[in-house]
Amino acid sequence: MASISPVTVEIIRNALQSAAEEMNASLFRSAFSPVIYEMKDCSVGLFDEQARILGQSAGLPIFLGNLEVCIQTAIEMYGLDWFRPGDVICMNDSYMTGTHLNDITVFSPVFHEGELVGFTANRAHWLDVGAKDPGMSTDTREIYQEGIRIGPTKIVDAGVPREDVIDLITRNSRFPVAARGDLNAQISACRTGERRFLAIIRRWGLDTVRAACAEIFAQSERLDREAIAAIPDGTYFAEGCLDNDGVSDDPVWVRVTVTVQGSDITIDLTGSSPQRPGATNCGLAQTISACRVAYKALINPDAPVTGGTFRPLRVTVPPGSIFAAEEPAATTWYFSHLGLLIDLVQKALAPAIPDRVAAAHYGDSMVVTFVGHDPERNAPFFNLEATVGGWGAFEGGDGQDALINSVNGDFRNLPVEVLETKYPILVRRYSLRPDSGGPGRFRGGTGAIREYELQADGALYLWWERSRCPAWGLMGGGDGSPPQVIVRNPREDGSWEEVRVLKANGLPLRRGAVVTCMTGGGGGYGHPFQREPARVREDVLDGYVSREAAARRYGVAIGPDGQIDEAETARLRAARG
Amino acid sequence: MSAGLRVAMDIGGTFTDLVAYDPATGTYQTGKVATTPGRLQVGVVRGLTELVDDLATLGFLVHGTTAGLNAFLERKGARVALVTTEGFRDVYEIARGNRPEMYNVRYRKPKPLVPRRDVYEVPERLRYDGTVLRPLRPEDLRPLVAALRAGGYEAVAICLLHAHVNPVHEQLVRDVIRRELPGLTISCSHEVAREWREYERTSTTVINAYIAPIVSRYLGALEEELRARGLREPLYIMRSNGGIMTADVAREQPIQTLLSGPVGGAVGTALIGRILDRANLIGVDMGGTSFDVTLVIGGQVDVTNEASLEGFPILSPMVNIHTIGAGGGSLAWVEAGGLRVGPQSAGAEPGPACYGRGGTEPTVTDANAVLGRLDPERFLGGRMSLDVPAAREAVGRLAARLGLGVEEAAEGILAVVNHKMADAIRTLTVRKGIDPREFALVAFGGAGPMHAAWIAEALEIDTIIVPNFPGAFSAWGMLQTDIRHDAVRTYLRAVNQVDPAEAEGLYREMEGELAGILARQHVAGADMVFIRTVDMRYVGQEYLLNLPLSPAGDRIGPDDVAALVAAFHERHRSVYGHASERTPVEIVNLRVTGVGRIAPPPPAPRAGSAEGAPAPRQVRPVVFGGRSHPTPVYERDTLQPGHRFTGPAIVTELTTTTVIPPGWSASVDGFGHLILSARGV
Repeated sequence: MASISPVTVEIIRNALQSAAEEMNASLFRSAFSPVIYEMKDCSVGLFDEQARILGQSAGLPIFLGNLEVCIQTAIEMYGLDWFRPGDVICMNDSYMTGTHLNDITVFSPVFHEGELVGFTANRAHWLDVGAKDPGMSTDTREIYQEGIRIGPTKIVDAGVPREDVIDLITRNSRFPVAARGDLNAQISACRTGERRFLAIIRRWGLDTVRAACAEIFAQSERLDREAIAAIPDGTYFAEGCLDNDGVSDDPVWVRVTVTVQGSDITIDLTGSSPQRPGATNCGLAQTISACRVAYKALINPDAPVTGGTFRPLRVTVPPGSIFAAEEPAATTWYFSHLGLLIDLVQKALAPAIPDRVAAAHYGDSMVVTFVGHDPERNAPFFNLEATVGGWGAFEGGDGQDALINSVNGDFRNLPVEVLETKYPILVRRYSLRPDSGGPGRFRGGTGAIREYELQADGALYLWWERSRCPAWGLMGGGDGSPPQVIVRNPREDGSWEEVRVLKANGLPLRRGAVVTCMTGGGGGYGHPFQREPARVREDVLDGYVSREAAARRYGVAIGPDGQIDEAETARLRAARG
Repeated sequence: MSAGLRVAMDIGGTFTDLVAYDPATGTYQTGKVATTPGRLQVGVVRGLTELVDDLATLGFLVHGTTAGLNAFLERKGARVALVTTEGFRDVYEIARGNRPEMYNVRYRKPKPLVPRRDVYEVPERLRYDGTVLRPLRPEDLRPLVAALRAGGYEAVAICLLHAHVNPVHEQLVRDVIRRELPGLTISCSHEVAREWREYERTSTTVINAYIAPIVSRYLGALEEELRARGLREPLYIMRSNGGIMTADVAREQPIQTLLSGPVGGAVGTALIGRILDRANLIGVDMGGTSFDVTLVIGGQVDVTNEASLEGFPILSPMVNIHTIGAGGGSLAWVEAGGLRVGPQSAGAEPGPACYGRGGTEPTVTDANAVLGRLDPERFLGGRMSLDVPAAREAVGRLAARLGLGVEEAAEGILAVVNHKMADAIRTLTVRKGIDPREFALVAFGGAGPMHAAWIAEALEIDTIIVPNFPGAFSAWGMLQTDIRHDAVRTYLRAVNQVDPAEAEGLYREMEGELAGILARQHVAGADMVFIRTVDMRYVGQEYLLNLPLSPAGDRIGPDDVAALVAAFHERHRSVYGHASERTPVEIVNLRVTGVGRIAPPPPAPRAGSAEGAPAPRQVRPVVFGGRSHPTPVYERDTLQPGHRFTGPAIVTELTTTTVIPPGWSASVDGFGHLILSARGV
């Protein structure tokens, strides 16, 4: 390959990244479902003809580098000759794509002067793909209960939309109009990527672009290897569990062994739970993707992802486990154990690089869904929300309060004013949850409280996690509080029926029912007695920490006047320090 | 309005620029004084009195102020108390819960301007339709008033749930506080940003409250000083939306002064459009650390209704300014064997290596110096000389690491930064379905005209306009601006459920408010223009498209809805590439822009007397495309209408250098603008 100027390489590198961001903007701005445009449950990428990443922009971090496998699967099944200019292909099979059936992957080949030169792809979460329950069931036992299953299928054939196939796919959704709208947005994003990719090729020539990509990959790899080489060699282990799989009450174990050797990293998941009867399973492709997220959080988090980024990473996955599910495993909640995996990689490496990792965060998306019929608007309603919680502290900083979980990235919560305008739900409270952050020299972030009151009869679906294994602290820091959901239904006699649950599948709610959702806090970092009393006082004045907890957990006495009682603080810290 | 001197004053971080226009003679005068941080009015008044002997002779005075923006950026705003609905104390701190830096486990939200201890709840609640669920009584506010009295606050922000639908409780809180604590500045969300989404509305109201006392004090002091020196005409202030307002209105709407300074470039770009009768222009302002892009589309400055500043959303119409970290001071560096430029900057200290102030890392300015594009002896009009050997040394070290020649590396640095700037323009245009090839570039700022030709080439733009006084362009632009105010009401309805009388009522209500504000600023009824627009989307979508109502007859009658919906589908197709005729469409917001037409007509051109190329001051070797070309250097002062010449050429003036590369030609039009054209187009 001819040598190429570093100037050209850098210009092409920026142009490819900008093209991916443009695709993402196109998808966000024209999608129909809030899950895409608000929660950013989507990703886009531009690939070369071997399905290597040229540029990507993930709305959802856990979607990092999970699109190329879809393209590769289609190539394996039908060969390169299958693709024609103007094609658009769609697929969602969990065992191929790695995620749940709600995630629809759409991609199209890019041709330049008759030659296949690359692909443009995206993935987006659809509200409904025809599962046994609306949205996402919490108690499925096999994939056939989870919706329509699509292998690589042409929905646009050489530029001509296949209306019959599109109808088949969208007809299976409870919300066919939204499905059609989202699909249009996805096709549009592919076309945007194709236009920009071809413009770059026309500007620089195909050979130059290919040579530049080879150099871009090499630069990414070099950059990452430099960072990995700085981590002490060794084998590091951590384990943790999910509460259950939604069907049985047994914990779901995740065991992570990280080996650093020179400039290579291996993540080995041997010892993790075998495939489960409930829906905490995912395809191999998504496990690799999650390991890439864990890797990216440690190695050059700010650098763009390219085809060279993950070359130093090896992933070992036990076959037949929750991380490499096989037919007919259910996969609706494919991400809960992946979020845990990402936290555990940080925990494993804490002894090696204590100043670069963070304590655990509250852990999962904490999904709460209300469905029912709205008499005022005379329409069915369906509101699915993920809930923010506390993040882990780290050397140099407190954990962030009330932030969305790691797999969800740039997700945005639903404004109360929008929610109440659309659905028969009143939000009674949306606040921080004081004292939920793990105590530490650096404090874990606090969880959140979101309290709903139903204005119509309905049903509740809950997928809440991490009560058995709440956010752990590091280096002497305490754990964050576990999550809690309290459901109170009014009885006819005016009294209340109260239950505490974390998972629910269609729990009936009567008009007036109150659901109080409290997410966990993040883990603390360093021993809480090492926290400066002045900072503990600030937390008390702002109400993140109660006066009682300041004394009990931090050994800092704050008087009724809001001032530090120095003598009592010294006594508390000496007595238990 | 008298026919006296028209003056604009634009405060920058280092200098305050002034431009004066004398309508009697049609001539301009510029002034430049050092900005006086802390007491900005001192520098402003000094600059003004240097330029004008008797302020009583002024016919028009406009000011772009950074008082509010600086208070915000430096976090030196007022101590603010925030009042919220019971149960929602933390809406402001939780924000939208999102994490834009997705692989950063240490991500932190922007630090709230109001700490949690200063947020107070009041016992009240409205439903989404504005009906009262939990009534608020004046006596319920006693604890709040006591806390505010004890807290030593300067300002209060009030944002209650659903107040955009029914402000009754916000008004009650406001009236009680005003009565009990008359010294406090009060900002109500329904007055600052009457739109749904409680976090965004709270954020907007808090920023308003945060800067209100600072803006008020500054404008009060300035106006008092100017009046004492004889000013008779109103003092006008630039607004973030690209219009102007009188200083007393600005003190009531401080949020609208946030971009008062930076917006001048966009306004100037629009003025160039009016003078040259060009509808579509891209304004590019490249300075030492940043590159700002603004658009003029169809003769109008591109204004966004969803702006944000340092992560804080602002629901208030603002000129859409897209900024990236690319400027003369941007550093070139090597990462993993690859060349990178920016976003880090050498700043003013130590600055580029060629400034000779201890900088050793190569910058964009050093690359220009190496290539001979900057005159080492006459930099900044001769106030500073450049150390070209130091620039060569800095660029040379980088070149050696990349295996390139020094000139090759220098041209490479410029190519990378030029393409980055072109990508920034794509973000504002191509991403929204706008084709930049239909635009001309207006290049200003210290470095804009030096890079414009390459940026234009990357975007296939064939015309560049370098205005007069490119270093004081913002101030120049402010000279001929209209008064402009905006109003909004959230009105969520499917299009087939619109009640025309109700919509008309809301429009009239907004127009009544705006007419009142315009009248206070001495705008006669005949000079008031109201532009009605509507925010629409497909049912279920989040993002909005703003459409003018005028094609549908300026009302939302039953017969007009079909035309409006058709226009919406069309716009959606042009912006996103597809439309969905079968999907229902809804209205979200009704908006009115009220314009008070006070700007005089633009000046007339002078006849072109000159011909051919002027005499160059010198001819010196400059590198283009790897080769050294003997390149004529012209003084801007010597250029006359009618002059034309071809690249390579360089034009120098006080604070700016224009580079005309081979393949481009330049001419001077009847207004003195330097027009660059890609040859053969």
